[in-house]
Amino acid sequence: MSPPPNASSPMPSDDQWADLLVEQVTSAWRPRGMDGYIEPHPAWHDLNEAERTEAYRETTRLRLMEAALDPRGLSATGRAVLERVTRR
Amino acid sequence: MPIDEIQQLEAIVRGESGAFASWLAGAEPRIRRSLARFARAVDTEAVLQESLLRVWQVAPRFKPDGQPEALLRMGVRIARNLAISGARRRRAQQLDLDLLGEGAEAMPPMDEPDPRLRGTIEQCREKLPRNPQRSLAARLERPGIRDDVLAQSLGMNLNTFFQNIRRARLGLLDCLKRHGIELEIRA
Repeated sequence: MSPPPNASSPMPSDDQWADLLVEQVTSAWRPRGMDGYIEPHPAWHDLNEAERTEAYRETTRLRLMEAALDPRGLSATGRAVLERVTRR
Repeated sequence: MPIDEIQQLEAIVRGESGAFASWLAGAEPRIRRSLARFARAVDTEAVLQESLLRVWQVAPRFKPDGQPEALLRMGVRIARNLAISGARRRRAQQLDLDLLGEGAEAMPPMDEPDPRLRGTIEQCREKLPRNPQRSLAARLERPGIRDDVLAQSLGMNLNTFFQNIRRARLGLLDCLKRHGIELEIRA
């Protein structure tokens, strides 16, 4: 799910494009494969090694903040997993 | 094994999602930290979520060894094995074999978040501009939903949504920093 070009503004630079990819990967949404297992975010494959490390760091920071905002102390990851568990 | 941990495990085995939620809140950041060295080779978020689901699935058959944090140790082990399998599938050459051989029981220490974080982050969120605030809230309230669906529900195009998420994230970090709170992450 790479971001579509924005018709009202110039194409993003490489750095801006990488920033948007990292932002996508910080989401807790992940697809499920044919076998039912949770798969990598499609945008993760487009990141280079340094950007993958950055995505890990920024996701970890974001999850700490999300958990602090949640009354049960759950980040978006915890909530996504709990949703899958209770949906079964 | 502490009594409260035994009670929590028994409740999880009975299928009580509230007990699992309580375990998740403490276990998730520690299992995530255990995956730091795999961040270049696998999508750690996907590995982490799959590991947490498997913990829930195998919990009814789990036999604790009597030592503290038995379920967490199992979660760390599952995550490590999934990460190694994922890295091998991708033929990730950058993974150091010494790291792969490192003991599965190398437990990440308990996170000690700044005690001011909870109170401060709420103040910081309220100071965010409206659209970054709405975008962040959408992801938090509907964590299993794709970003394009969330963007559409907010009447934003996808690029704008990502830019708003970025503004929210950086805005919160900047605000926390001004309050003397830094979220140090090692990877």
